[in-house]
Amino acid sequence: MEWVETTGRTLEEAQDAALDQLGVDELDAEFEILEEPRLGLFGRVRTEARVRARVRPNRPPVKDERRGRRRRPATAEPASPAVSTPPAPRTAERTSAEHPRMGHAPSRDRQGGRMENDVPLAQQAEAATEFLAGLVGAIAGVGRVEVHEIDEHTVEVAVVGDGLGLLIGPSGATLAAVQDLTRTAVQRRTGGRNGRIMVDVGGYREKRRSALERFTREIASQVLETGQRKVLEPMQAADRKVVHDTVNSIDGVATASEGEEPRRRVVIQPV
Amino acid sequence: MTDMTDMTDTTGAGAAAVAAYDDDDTGNRVLGAAARNVLSYLARQIVDEPDAVVVQADEDPNRKRVDLRLHVAPKDMGIVIGRRGRTAQAIRTVVRAAGASEGVEATVDIVD
Repeated sequence: MEWVETTGRTLEEAQDAALDQLGVDELDAEFEILEEPRLGLFGRVRTEARVRARVRPNRPPVKDERRGRRRRPATAEPASPAVSTPPAPRTAERTSAEHPRMGHAPSRDRQGGRMENDVPLAQQAEAATEFLAGLVGAIAGVGRVEVHEIDEHTVEVAVVGDGLGLLIGPSGATLAAVQDLTRTAVQRRTGGRNGRIMVDVGGYREKRRSALERFTREIASQVLETGQRKVLEPMQAADRKVVHDTVNSIDGVATASEGEEPRRRVVIQPV
Repeated sequence: MTDMTDMTDTTGAGAAAVAAYDDDDTGNRVLGAAARNVLSYLARQIVDEPDAVVVQADEDPNRKRVDLRLHVAPKDMGIVIGRRGRTAQAIRTVVRAAGASEGVEATVDIVD
């Protein structure tokens, strides 16, 4: 996984900048503080905070384990539960002693600082699938849950079917909430949080990404024409990454981010 | 059992999956059944003591509104609220969507 290095007037600013570049939220990132900010006279910033960050890896790369994980098929077997299937009973290994981390901020963790509770990604995906199947059954009534392996650290658990709009919500807000809850449920069920579980509903993420790319190109050409910066509406981290990446591929414009989560927004400006 | 006609609606009430709160003792449709079931389901999925999860409801049938109150075991409060209230907010968002699926405005309070 690649590290990015960012600076800011405060540690928080530097970390926010890093999260924007990575396109993940803080729960999926790990940070190293390279330099604390130092204030000069009258509170002026003398030295900026400097951090480096990367997407939290699933686990330390141990070759044998990695090979074992790859043996899992990329999509769920036909036995993947229909949404009306009740969630499986929780397993005995799920005890409260295995969840000691709730409430302590992960943002200061050093590299390699948390290797406890390794849970195979396949097992996490299974827990996520069960959780989602139960949820979709209660809300939408119809839908199927599929598992797609994105890379060795990431799986996408996708709800497919028609009439799933309610699970997506305006600008994907409900989908974001569903993903948050899925991750929480997986963590509680399996006792560990290592890999990244992405949730998709009705192919929304891909549609959103291409629509956002088109939109970004349009705004970027307006900025190039007028020479005026444009402030976009607040977006989730994953959406902001799409904007940053798109703008960075266009000459003459650059991006910056403003504001605090959850109202953080991208600014497109001429260079 | 006229409820089952809801199934023809693609955004429907999810009648098939909402068992627990579908009907009250006298067999009448309960307002916000999907919202209640989703709240109960979500809470039970993330807490350590699912048996301690209780969902109560204040109904306002005239305004098609149901205010839900979630009770969990004291040690599970932190879990359902989450860092900076993030999990609580996610629960509210999803329960609101479930309510919308049956034409009901649903709110969630997490109480001690």
